[in-house]
This record gives sequence, C-alpha cells and structure tokens, in this order.
Amino acid sequence: MDFMIRAATPEDCKDISRMIMELAVYENMPDQVKISHEVLEQDGFCKNPFFHCLVAEVAEQYRTTEGYTVIGYALFFYTYSTWKGRSVYMEDLYVMPEFRGEFPGKGVGTALMSKVAQVGKEQQCVRLQFSVLNWNTPSLDFYKAKGAQDLTDSEGWHVLRFDGEALDKLAQMAPKN
Amino acid sequence: MDYTIRVATLEDCKDIYRMIMELAKHEKVSDQVKIAQRDLEQDGFSKNPFFQSIIAEVPEQHRSKDGHSKVGYALYFFAYSSWKGRSVYMEDLYVMPEYRGKGIGKALMSKIAQLGLAAGCNQLNFAVLNWNKESMDFYLSQGCWDVTTGLDYHCMRCEGPALEALARGDPKN
Repeated sequence: MDFMIRAATPEDCKDISRMIMELAVYENMPDQVKISHEVLEQDGFCKNPFFHCLVAEVAEQYRTTEGYTVIGYALFFYTYSTWKGRSVYMEDLYVMPEFRGEFPGKGVGTALMSKVAQVGKEQQCVRLQFSVLNWNTPSLDFYKAKGAQDLTDSEGWHVLRFDGEALDKLAQMAPKN
Repeated sequence: MDYTIRVATLEDCKDIYRMIMELAKHEKVSDQVKIAQRDLEQDGFSKNPFFQSIIAEVPEQHRSKDGHSKVGYALYFFAYSSWKGRSVYMEDLYVMPEYRGKGIGKALMSKIAQLGLAAGCNQLNFAVLNWNKESMDFYLSQGCWDVTTGLDYHCMRCEGPALEALARGDPKN
C-alpha cells in the first residue's frame, strides 16, 4: 500500500491547519477559518480533547511539489442520541486533489472514513453523522455510494446556530440560582 | 412558578429516561428508543461521558399529579468546528406539557449557552425539523440562524448495514 492512515499527533497540526484552509477554499468560504494550528494543538491533544483526528500519509516518493507527505485527514468527535445512544460525528473529511480518485491502493477518502467508522464501532457507536454542502455533487455521490442518507431531504432536519452577540445574550438570560 | 435549573446527577437518569419516553410516546414512536436507563447512566456519568445534562426542578407544592418534581431537561455535548473551534451541541430540550409557557425551556437553553461560553465555546448548535413551524419560529425569534438554509449544508447519516460495511472496509465501496 502506498499510503497509511494513522492517528494524528500534535506535530501534524500544521498540516491539518493547512488542509482545513484548503477545504475552506474548496467550499468557497476561506474567510471563515478563525482558528490556528496552535488552537488545534490545545483542543485536540489536551486531557479531555474536543476532537480526534486521523491523517493519511504517503510514502516519500509521492511527496507533493511543496514537500508534503500528509495529504488527507478526518476530524471527528463523539456525540449522543437519546434514542439510539453513542454516535460519532465526522466534522471534516479531506484529501488533497492530486491524491483523489484512483491513487494507488484503495481510495484515501474511503480509507479515512472507514477508519472513523471502525474507531466509532470500537466505542459502540451506532451512527456516523456529518454534513455536506448541497451543491457539492462529487461529495454527495461519494457518500451516497456508501449508503449515507440525506436527513435534510428525507426528514426535513435543519441545523440552527447561536453565535456572536445572540449567544452572549442567550447566556445572560440564564437563571442565577 | 418557582423552578431551579441544575446539573443532572446519576440519580436523575430515571426521570430523564421517563421524559425521553414521554416525548417518544407523544410522537407515537416509542419503539424508536433503543437505549435503556442503564445506558444513560453509563454514557453520561462515567469517566469520559458522551453527554452532559441539566434538569429543571419544581418545589414540592408544584409536583405533577404523578408526583414528579423534575419537569424538564436538556441534554448536550461538546463539539468542534475546524473553522471556529469549540462548540456545544444541544441534542434534547424538553419540558413536560403542563409546565410549558413559564420560561423553563428558555432557561434550560440559556444555561447551556452559559456553560458553553464558560468552557470556551463560541457556538451553540442544535437541529429542528423544518416543518415544526412553532419551534422554528420560537428559536429564530431568540436570535439564532438557520445554517442549513443559510449555507446550504445537508445533514447526513450512515447507520445499520451501511455503517457496518464502512467499518469493515468492504472493497466494493
């Protein structure tokens, strides 16, 4: 096999940060990335990490022109369903463009996602959830081929968010007892 | 009506489970609940919990006709945005029907926001069914925004045989 999937280390955070930005550019939202590789190091490698990460690394001879061998990642964390129990949420799945498709051996993206599913299974998780941009046809096709259901389309689920001032305002209303 | 919002303890799992079942029964989908009270206890109160919970409790004189003083709950966990950092996700928010309209739901949600900010989070996310107009209107009136409509993200899920196949790394997919 010409690539391997392994758990990320703090030293990988610079590469992960680089690829987070590449993914944001792909999603047409580069100005939305607010956290640095230092924040990733703190939040992913502390005593009670907020996330877990896997990276895909290629053998030396497949280095990119800039010299990168870490060419894909999956970032995930554990969640809970009060009906079904333990679940895993895959926040990011990304493979650099030149390593997609028919790269030697199994697909890198598939291998990363499988590993997330496997790690989740070891923790008795019964669901793997994630989000996809509705216009991202290659990704939607990739996921649907793996048996993923679109809950927004089939059941009408929408994600709502409090952030910025609205979140501060909401928190200020909390009872003081 | 007086009520207090506090962090749930192991002993509260009985009532949390009761309320989970109440909601499922009301929606006529009790058979969809696959976890037992024991799972809540293990998954929420062990060394590395999968969730956190807060309870709304009323004093003795306001107990329900069945004798319950724990009348609402919220269940949440910490999540992560690779763009923004730490976030909190509110999985469940429930108040028994006879105790609604008194601000308990809002108080539970505010408490999660407060706890989230204290933990360094800058987002509170949750999901609503888009045909549930009453809930949608309520939440949007509180200042949140619809990420699905606004950014065009769809929620996806793998479970059952599809998840098994993925974990096995079946060659065909």
